[in-house]
Amino acid sequence: MPRIPSLDLARPSRQHWLGYILLVPAVLLVALIIVYPLIVSLDLSFQQVKLARLDAPRKAFTLANYERLFSSRDFWMACWVTLKLTVIVTSACLVMGLGTALLVNNRFKGRNLARLAVALPWAVPEVIATVIFAWIFDSSFGLMNWLFIRLGLANGMINWFSDPTAAFWVVAITMIWKGYPFVSIMALAGLQSIPSDFYSAAKVDGANAFQRFRYITLPSLMPVLGVTLVLVVLWVFRDFSIVKVLTDGGPLKATQTLSIMTYNEAFGFFNFGYASAIGIVTLIICVATSLLMLGRETKSMY
Amino acid sequence: MKRTRLQSLILYGVVVLTCAFLLFPVYWLIVTALSTSAELSRLPPSFWPEAPQWGTFAKVFAERPIPLWLLNSTLAALGSVSLSMVVSVLAGYSLSRFSVRGGHSLGLFILTAKMLPATLLVIPLFGIFRQVGLIGSLWSLVIAHATLIIPFTTWMLKGYFDTIPRELEQSAMVDGCSPLSAMVRVILPISTPGLAATALYAFVLSWSDYAYARTFLTNQQGSWTANLGITTMKGEYVTDWNEVSAAAIFIAVPIIVIYLFLERYLVGGLTAGAEK
Repeated sequence: MPRIPSLDLARPSRQHWLGYILLVPAVLLVALIIVYPLIVSLDLSFQQVKLARLDAPRKAFTLANYERLFSSRDFWMACWVTLKLTVIVTSACLVMGLGTALLVNNRFKGRNLARLAVALPWAVPEVIATVIFAWIFDSSFGLMNWLFIRLGLANGMINWFSDPTAAFWVVAITMIWKGYPFVSIMALAGLQSIPSDFYSAAKVDGANAFQRFRYITLPSLMPVLGVTLVLVVLWVFRDFSIVKVLTDGGPLKATQTLSIMTYNEAFGFFNFGYASAIGIVTLIICVATSLLMLGRETKSMY
Repeated sequence: MKRTRLQSLILYGVVVLTCAFLLFPVYWLIVTALSTSAELSRLPPSFWPEAPQWGTFAKVFAERPIPLWLLNSTLAALGSVSLSMVVSVLAGYSLSRFSVRGGHSLGLFILTAKMLPATLLVIPLFGIFRQVGLIGSLWSLVIAHATLIIPFTTWMLKGYFDTIPRELEQSAMVDGCSPLSAMVRVILPISTPGLAATALYAFVLSWSDYAYARTFLTNQQGSWTANLGITTMKGEYVTDWNEVSAAAIFIAVPIIVIYLFLERYLVGGLTAGAEK
């Protein structure tokens, strides 16, 4: 995209002046509510503090929190759970989101209604989605138990939330249901920006449906899908409410992600210093992952 | 391209089946809210209640503080959206129109703030709010939600302003407007749809929060938001699923209504910056 020259009709000095002024509220607010808290948590992560009392005198600088973290089995377990969840949920969301987008991108009567319908879970608040799935997977009268027995997959009631593998999958399924519509919305936008001439030309050249998908649709969608992928990964990686309400990290820490571990160390065990260290490490992983995934295309995120 | 009758039939079949499958959880929520407790503790389950219990909605609305929860969620959202929008409109406009020294770095920083885990930021914010006495007050959510919203709205608005031709301001300035009045009188009025869509999206972000509400407000029942309130209805041993479902519908409806308005903008707005 060619660079548009900056406004050149009035006195340049004044425009620059206005440009700075307009940024002042954002700078002040971001400094106060994002940068300052970040510095506080970085500072906390190097202290042995139980409760965050900012008026209390600073404790001595120590690396103990980080040493404890990297030698903790729970931390590596949480990394593994987070990785598993991220890979499974993200790939399922991509497949379902792309599939539904391709489906409702066809021309048919009622297409607008179908578009609204396939992306509707986007509008269901996470906590509500959690309530729905907690009931579907209820251990006594949940629909899924009935279905499993009916299909002969289980002999008796499954207690979904006390089995580590089952609980993990309940969390994953809830997140997939909540997450795929975002991919669908983004992919649909991408699909609509592909000029239809491309397809007509390919047809004249005798390309079949699969070839048209492989050589036109997919490459044109790549930039959008790349950004979407990063956003979904970040969402799963940092999600709090779904896991917290469904399983609270249990059973046997089988669903304890890094976010849940951070939160529970802070507000369950009041290890604010240790929790801050986990949070800082999580943030570093998030930033590193997104930079790696976007690579030289970091710019395309905005 | 023309489809044969058979092909259209298959297409419709696939569309209907897909929608039915994906929306089944929503259907199940509604069925559950309309069933009696007896129907819900029966297997096989009934897929439509014998006599829909509309009274459950009235009962839940009267017996639980749902109006209060909805009010608190709305107040927190209005506060954080107003605060964030004022700041983001100005910053987004500046990032879009001026090449200010340090502006690019500021933009990048705000973008990186999108990656901040709420579970990290909640710890220092808790300490700060306790010191200044905001724990238990909705003001804590106004500020905490602004940390979620500003990174989104700033970039959405910058992307939106980028789509408005600069010639508009230039001709306004030829007519004697100052850069400031060109922005206020020309650009902001024609940006109303984009501003409205961004604000609605921000409203959804605030309304959906659970982490901050749970941390700052748990001990202050009068300040509970809808999402916090409903999780307290999910008991540890016994849960009245029909009542929880009815409450869940009350909480989900405002967001679903916003979604119906917002859908056409979402496609443009969320991806505005993505394809450059």
